[in-house]
Amino acid sequence: MTSLAQRQADLVAALTGGAAVPLGFDARLVEAARVALLRKRAGEVARQWPDLAHALGSGWYRQWSAWAATRPTRGSLRDGWDLARELASRGELPAAAGAELAAREASLVYDGENPPRARRLPAMRGAAGSVVVQFAGRVRVLRRG
Amino acid sequence: MTTAYGVGIGWRPEIGGFVAQLPGLRFAEVVAESVHAHGDLPVGLAELRDRGVAVVPHGVKLSLGGAEPVEPARVTHLAAVAERLGAPLVSEHIAFVRAGGVEAGHLLPIPRSREAVDAVVANVKRTQAELPVPIALEPIAALFDWPDDELDEGAFLTEILERTDALLLLDVANVYANARNRGTDPLALLDRLPLDRIAYIHVAGGAEHDGIYHDTHTDAVPQPVLDLITELCARHRPPALMLERDGDYPSAAELTGELDAIAAASGYPRVT
Repeated sequence: MTSLAQRQADLVAALTGGAAVPLGFDARLVEAARVALLRKRAGEVARQWPDLAHALGSGWYRQWSAWAATRPTRGSLRDGWDLARELASRGELPAAAGAELAAREASLVYDGENPPRARRLPAMRGAAGSVVVQFAGRVRVLRRG
Repeated sequence: MTTAYGVGIGWRPEIGGFVAQLPGLRFAEVVAESVHAHGDLPVGLAELRDRGVAVVPHGVKLSLGGAEPVEPARVTHLAAVAERLGAPLVSEHIAFVRAGGVEAGHLLPIPRSREAVDAVVANVKRTQAELPVPIALEPIAALFDWPDDELDEGAFLTEILERTDALLLLDVANVYANARNRGTDPLALLDRLPLDRIAYIHVAGGAEHDGIYHDTHTDAVPQPVLDLITELCARHRPPALMLERDGDYPSAAELTGELDAIAAASGYPRVT
């Protein structure tokens, strides 16, 4: 029989990475758990990224779940950040969410792979028409999109 | 934990102001991972401590039910937070939250098998070796079960508690949710559990979607959960019962109503 470690990994892959439900489980119930997990993550990301969730409005949960369905969480800060960057790269980040992303980009260094860390130097960043400057850890919005 | 604390509440920053103004409060819980081991305490938490409120760190990311050994840094953090808060005990779940390096993002059930019991027991013992205080273990609300369950829930939990000498954190909303979703009798489970090992009780709300009851912590506490409190306290009243709310925070009046309902159901005095 496969080890418990492997079977737990297979289950997590089904719940967070779009992998098949492991044999023997009730597929309807595992699917309910998968959706509940996405909803819980959506709430956590919306708390970290209120402008993003608010700006996407009724489309927030749809956009979020399409993006997150195959991406296990890396924490709500990074999940929201990765989604905002992806939307920005496609030109689909709403203007009302631009300053929030630009402020994070100006305050923290985040390479998309490692946990974000504080920026030591001043920085100016823009997103979706907003421009933000950070100096000595203080953030000012120069222009709102 | 022999002190009777009565009715408590899960401290969250969003309702910190409400919690600070509860005159009779003697028991609260904080998510362990939200407290810095050495830096400043979240605003409001130090004040609760200074008032003499017992604040228990509640871990959500240890993954005690993981087949892999619990991460030492996470245990060290939990122990440091317990010291920091002067907590009488800590708590964590009988669940796993990651596997193969991937975070699930929530508490997942483990199989009720001998192999899984061995894994939990080993992880609890590793954790206890570092902790300055006892640990209470909380059974979760599971939306699905594993296909290879060998033990029923009562036998599974009793064996884990006996082999680890841990306390029990019983969530009556989880007992209700599991019984409702599995079509079993929640009182039958209460009668199988070592109620004298209960350190404290969680109480929370939930909602039904597509025929499945979800333990959401964002909805009102339903009457059947309050009835379970009464049934439980008739058998053996635990030292503390606390309300857990984790989002969609209602008005202070509604929170007060829920705390008072827990007091009425358990026979403890109101803390509001």
